[in-house]
Amino acid sequence: MTVDNEATLEIQHLLRDFRPQDGDLLGALHAVQHRYGYIPRIAFRVVARQLRLSEAKVYGAATFYSEFRLTPSPATLVGWCSGPACRLKGSEGVRRMLESRLGITFGENTGDNKLGLHFAQCNGTCEYAPQVWVNGEVVGPLTAASTSDLVQKLKDEA
Amino acid sequence: MSAYEDLRAAADAVWAPIARPQRPLFVVSLNTSSIAGGATHTFDALRKLGEGAGFDVMLTGDTGIAWAEPVVQVQKPDGQRILYGHVTGDRADAFAQAALAGVAADFAVGVVAGPPVAGVPMLADLPWMKIQVRWMMEHCGVIDPENIDHYIALDGYKTFEEARAMERDQLIEVIKGSTLRGHSGSFFSTGTKWGFLKDAKAEPKYLVCNADEGDPGAWVNRVVMESDPHRLLEGMLIGAYATGAAYGWIYIRDEYPLAIERVRTAIDQARARGILGEDALGSGVRFDAEVVRGAGSYVCGDETGLIASVNDGRGMPKIKPPFPAQSGVLDRPTNVNNVETYADVTTLLKLGAATYSSVGSEANRGTKMFTVSGDVARGGCLEVPFGTKVRDLLAAAGGIAHGRALKAMQQGGPLSGMLPAEVALDLPLEPEPFRPLGAGMGGGGIVFVDDRACVVDLNLMFAHFLEDESCARCTTCRIGNQRMVEIFARTSRGEGEANDPDRLQSLAASFQNSNCFHGQLSPTIMNNTMQHFRAEYGAHVLEHRCPAKVCAPLVRYRVIDQGRAVDDAAKICPVEAFEKHGGKWQIDDVRCIRCNACKDVAPDDIVIEDRYVDAIPLRMIESAEVARAGGVRA
Ligand SMILES: Cc1cc2nc3c(=O)[nH]c(=O)nc-3n(C[C@H](O)[C@H](O)[C@H](O)COP(=O)(O)O)c2cc1C
Ligand code: FES
Repeated sequence: MTVDNEATLEIQHLLRDFRPQDGDLLGALHAVQHRYGYIPRIAFRVVARQLRLSEAKVYGAATFYSEFRLTPSPATLVGWCSGPACRLKGSEGVRRMLESRLGITFGENTGDNKLGLHFAQCNGTCEYAPQVWVNGEVVGPLTAASTSDLVQKLKDEA
Repeated sequence: MSAYEDLRAAADAVWAPIARPQRPLFVVSLNTSSIAGGATHTFDALRKLGEGAGFDVMLTGDTGIAWAEPVVQVQKPDGQRILYGHVTGDRADAFAQAALAGVAADFAVGVVAGPPVAGVPMLADLPWMKIQVRWMMEHCGVIDPENIDHYIALDGYKTFEEARAMERDQLIEVIKGSTLRGHSGSFFSTGTKWGFLKDAKAEPKYLVCNADEGDPGAWVNRVVMESDPHRLLEGMLIGAYATGAAYGWIYIRDEYPLAIERVRTAIDQARARGILGEDALGSGVRFDAEVVRGAGSYVCGDETGLIASVNDGRGMPKIKPPFPAQSGVLDRPTNVNNVETYADVTTLLKLGAATYSSVGSEANRGTKMFTVSGDVARGGCLEVPFGTKVRDLLAAAGGIAHGRALKAMQQGGPLSGMLPAEVALDLPLEPEPFRPLGAGMGGGGIVFVDDRACVVDLNLMFAHFLEDESCARCTTCRIGNQRMVEIFARTSRGEGEANDPDRLQSLAASFQNSNCFHGQLSPTIMNNTMQHFRAEYGAHVLEHRCPAKVCAPLVRYRVIDQGRAVDDAAKICPVEAFEKHGGKWQIDDVRCIRCNACKDVAPDDIVIEDRYVDAIPLRMIESAEVARAGGVRA
C-alpha cells in the first residue's frame, strides 16, 4: 500500500504539467513509460485523474499502440525490423535465428527478463538491412550467421 | 531595424565563420541513417582530433547520401570543399590526416566546391546528384539543424516576412495558383485546403503537421526534420498567417527520436527569437507549436486517425464529414498537411512561382522527395522534379545492386501498390499515371525489388502489416486482412486452394466498404501482383513450388559438398538439424527452420532446393508442417 502511494505521488509529480482537454494523453503515457520503462498498472488511475478521463479510456489508449509496454521491459530489448528492405535481404532468417536461439518470440522476454524480442517498424535506416535494434541502436546488416554471434554476445553480456 | 533585420544581423555573424572558415572545418552528418552507420563515433573522434590538429567540427543533418554514411564534408579556408564517405570512427584519424594534408582520396565522394581534384569527380556530376533539383533539400547537409542562426542567415524566415506583406487571400491564391498539392500522397490542393480553414467560423483554429511517416521504406519527412526543421516551421507559420490558426501540433512517429529532438529544439529556438509566440517578428501573428510523439500506429498517419490520437488517445480513423477543417483537434477547425508539404510552401514562396514552375511535368510543377531502398545499389533520399522517370531515378541510384534485374517496384507504402519492372520503369513520378494501373504514387518511399524476391512472400509480409495495423473498427478491414493473411500464408506453404484467386477478388470488393483508406486500399498490392505475377502464384498453388526459393515451407536445405565449412555450418545450426551419416553431414528437414545460417557459412557446400519435386498430396505437406512446427518449438 505505501509503495503504491509513493508511486502514485511520483507519477502525479511526473504529470504535473499535463492538462485535461489539451491533447496531452499520449504525452502523459510517454512520460510514465520514460520513467519506468513501461506503464505500471497504477499509472492508469493517476493519468485518468490528472487528465479527467476514465481509466478505461486511458487503458484503451495505451493498448492501442505497439510502443507502449504494460509489463516491465527486459534489460536488453532487441527490436526486429519487419520492413521491406530487411525482408528482401533476409530478415526472416534473422528472425528464425533470434527466436530459436532465444527460445522466445515477439512480445516475450527470456525467463530471466534479461532479453526481450520486439516486432519493430522500418525507421528508414534501410541501408543497414537486414537489421535489429539493440536498445534502440541499429545493428546491421546481419546474416542469420552473424545474428547467432550477436545473440551469443548479448547472452554473455546480460 | 525591423525585428527580422536584427535577427538576421546576429545570424550572419554566426554563419560567417562557417561560410568562410579560418581553419579547416569538418562538417559531420548526424542523422538517423548516419548514426546507424556509426557517425556518432566519427563525430566524437574528429572532435577530439580537431583540438590538437587545429580544425573545427560541426554537425549537419542528412545529405540524403545514405549509401556513403558516415558522410563528412571538409571545408578549407581556401574555399575547397570535398564530400567524403564511409568515415567510420575507427578510420577517423587516418582520414583527418589525409584530408588535412590534401585530399583523403580513399574516402572522397565528390568535390563540392573549389578547383577540380584529379581522380575525384565533382559532386554535381555524380548521377546521384545530377538528376536532383535540391530546393526543399537546399540546406540538407549544409547547416546545423540545431542552430536557428544558420537557417536565418540563409534567408530563413524571410519568406514569412514577404508572405505577410501579402493579403491573406492573395497569399492563398498564390498557393492555389501553383500546382502544390499534398506531398503525403494525398495530392489535394494545399491552397484549397488552407482556404477551407481560413473560411471556417469557429475559433481557435489549428494546424497539424503530419510527421507520422508510417510507410515502411519511406523517410523523406525524417530527412527534412533532421536536417532543416525550420523550413517546416516557417511553412506552418506562413500557414498560420494565411488561415488564422493559433496553434500547431507536429505529430512525429515514435520511431524518430532524433527528429523529435531536433523539431523540439527548433521550436524552442524560434520561440526564444520571438518567431513563435505572441507576435511573430512584430507581425501581429500569434502562433505557437508543440510536438506530439506518436506511439507506434500506422493508421494514426490518416488525418482523422491522427486527430483522434491527439484528442482521445486511441488513433482510430473516423468517417468524414465532419472534415478536419470543420472539426479537428479539440473539435476545432484544423488543417492537416504533411511535413514535406509545409516545407514546399516555404520553398514555393521563397523561389517565386516562376522558378518553382520551371521544373516538373505539365500537371505537377516543382519537385518531390523520394527515398530509395531495397535491392538498389545506392539507397538514400533524393529530390527530383515531378515527372522524373522511374528508370532515371533507379539509374541515379546505381541501378539494381550486384548487376541483378529489377523485378518490381513497391512504392508509397503498403497501400500504394507493387508494379512489375516492365510497367514501372517508364512511369513518370507523379500521381496521375499510377491511377489507371490500380496503384498510387504515395508519399515518396520507393522499394526496388530484384529477381530473387518472391511475390507471395512479399504479399504475406504486407498482409501481416495491414492486419496488424488495422484499427479494427470496420469488419471488412479487420477480417478482410485476416483472410488475406490466411490465404497468403497457405499459398506460401503450397496449400493454396484453387478458388483462392476468386476469394481474393471478393475480398477486394468487400474492402471497399471500409470507412478509411486503410481498409479500402488494403487489397492494392494483392490486386497489382495477382494481375502481373499470376504465374508465380500458380507455381505455389499447383506445383507446390516457390520459383524464387524464398517461401520456407516449399524449400529445403541440402548438403551437396562435404567441405570443411560444413563443420562450421553444423555448429551454427540453432536447432541441431545437422546429422552425420556414414561420415557425411545431412540436414534433417523436419528440424530445419530455414534460417539460412548454414548457407551463410558454407555457401558452396549447401544448396536450397525445391522441397517437393512432384506435386504430392496436401496431407503429406500438412503432416510435415506439423512435425516441423514441433521441431521449431521444442
Ligand atoms: C492509413 C493511412 C496512413 C496515412 N499515413 C500518412 C502519413 O504517415 N503521413 C502523412 O502525411 N499522411 C498520411 N496519410 C494521409 C493523411 O490522411 C492526409 O491526407 C495527409 O496528412 C494530408 O497531407 P497533405 O495534404 O500534405 O498531403 C495516411 C492516410 C491513411 C489512410
Ligand atoms: S526495412 Fe528494415 S530498416 Fe527499412
